[in-house]
Amino acid sequence: MSAAYHILLDIFPLLWSGLITGCLYALGALGLVMIFKSSRVVNFSHGNVAGLAAFLIYGFSSGTLLTLSWSAAVLMAVVAVIAIAFLSYAIVAPIMAKSDLTATIATLSLGLIAQGVTLLVFGADIVPLDLPLPRFSASLLGLRITGYDLTVLAVAVATIVGLFLVIDYTKLGVAFRAISANPIAAEICGLNLRSVHLFAWTVSAVLGVIGALLIVPTTFLSVTTVATFMLQAFAAAVLGGFSSLPGALVGGIAIGILMNLFTFYVSPEFTNTFLLVVILVALNVFPNGIFASTGGTRV
Amino acid sequence: MTSLLSVKNLSVFYGASAQAVENVSFEVSPGKVTALLGANGAGKSSIMKAVGGLIPARGEIIFDGAPISHFPVRERVRRGIVYVPERREIVGELSVRENLVLGGYQISAAERRNRIALVLDLFPEIASKVDRGAWRLSGGEQQMLAIGRGLMSGPRLLLLDEPSLGLAPLLVRRVFERLGAIRSAGELAIVLVEQNLRMTMRLCDELHFLRSGRIVGHKRADELKDETARQQAVDAYLGATESEPRLETA
Ligand SMILES: Nc1ncnc2c1ncn2[C@@H]1O[C@H](COP(=O)(O)OP(=O)(O)OP(=O)(O)O)[C@@H](O)[C@H]1O
Ligand SMILES: [Mg+2]
Repeated sequence: MSAAYHILLDIFPLLWSGLITGCLYALGALGLVMIFKSSRVVNFSHGNVAGLAAFLIYGFSSGTLLTLSWSAAVLMAVVAVIAIAFLSYAIVAPIMAKSDLTATIATLSLGLIAQGVTLLVFGADIVPLDLPLPRFSASLLGLRITGYDLTVLAVAVATIVGLFLVIDYTKLGVAFRAISANPIAAEICGLNLRSVHLFAWTVSAVLGVIGALLIVPTTFLSVTTVATFMLQAFAAAVLGGFSSLPGALVGGIAIGILMNLFTFYVSPEFTNTFLLVVILVALNVFPNGIFASTGGTRV
Repeated sequence: MTSLLSVKNLSVFYGASAQAVENVSFEVSPGKVTALLGANGAGKSSIMKAVGGLIPARGEIIFDGAPISHFPVRERVRRGIVYVPERREIVGELSVRENLVLGGYQISAAERRNRIALVLDLFPEIASKVDRGAWRLSGGEQQMLAIGRGLMSGPRLLLLDEPSLGLAPLLVRRVFERLGAIRSAGELAIVLVEQNLRMTMRLCDELHFLRSGRIVGHKRADELKDETARQQAVDAYLGATESEPRLETA
């Protein structure tokens, strides 16, 4: 067997699993970008709130808090994060009016509060949180494709396509794009900026829960699991320019694949360092992201 | 005839001490065009923005018999007051059609479709480019889009802030032709801020002269039919020496 063949054998699974985790980073990054585009705030509480949601699903379904079915627990957690999103926006919006930077810093404290609540209610221990996934595994071109992979792919594709359709083709999507590009124009036209902001914050929160739910089965659930995951989502958003939705998507997948390749070929210990290097290089080479927006960018 | 808009003792402050508008009062009758004339910095845009609800102001604003000073922009738009801003504020990232959708955000989908058709009828220049990015429009086309967007919600009062700004004379004439058409349809009142006095005279019924945030004079358009009278009014109210070069009287 040639060396090239072996490299290919290695690389396909790496690309595949990079794509899968990349989709999840993309979900997280899309949420960050939705909020940034509409409100000019970097929401640092994104990871901790999504983490709290994952714990709530655990709490609602395991008997720790309630004994609900898995889907009822998810539904309750989604309702909870939407409530948290509204509350966060209510706290951040008045600060936003004065300074975007201060508002961004305020989200840091909201994140710490979410983390504190998680610790208070669920403790610092690791808990199991499984997804009811189809048990399935198949081999294709040396790839092992599992039910988990297909679930992530299906959910991510459906969510992202749905989101892009809403942004591109609905009145609300027009409002969202208008507010991101020219809030004064949107105000002049009589739009309620608040409700469009809330739409973005709500969508972002839900995307966060979906991302958290899908990432947990690959590891375990602790207070920091989801926040750490959101770090990669953050990197993905930066890579995509932080104000482009397609950029977040491509950035997420790129980060997923790059990190996988680095871990395998170079060193698993320095993956996060590598991630930071990627961000720094990206910021220097593409200061406005790989999807630098021209006047005509759609999403 | 009762007035559609009645502004009483309007004052606008930027910060604690900088007063841009001082106790301005005027009336606008339904379907009439009222012009605000004044040098740069006289406070024209500030008055328009205050009436539109975009900046805070003191004093009374009565629209269609109801006080509206405490309403946010969207409620004023809903009631029929639309501001078409000085620098157009087109959303370049949206298509021409989407800009129009934005203008008719609060009306029903069916009504919106009708009004888009109406606006495109009025401005054939942009009709052929309706699904292009608005950033690709020329300056004149952007101004038409801004006015068209302003018409989308079916307003009864349009606050038009310097529609001729930055346009070549030919385009200015074309924009004013369209405004004339809108005006002769009769239902829409306009408050017009313009540096181009000749074009303004073709359109307006009343003129208010502004100086340093105050109304210093008022004329009916028929009092200023001939050029000498016009020049005299401008000299008297805006000051012969101070009369800024951009105010084209001829
Ligand atoms: N956002 C602002 N902050 C502080 N001062 C302002 C602001 N906007 C306007 N001003 C001041 O208020 C005064 C009136 O401004 P305004 O824009 O209403 O004048 P204008 O008559 O529309 O002038 P122009 O013909 O140049 O458009 C000016 O002295 C201006 O410097
Ligand atoms: Mg002005």
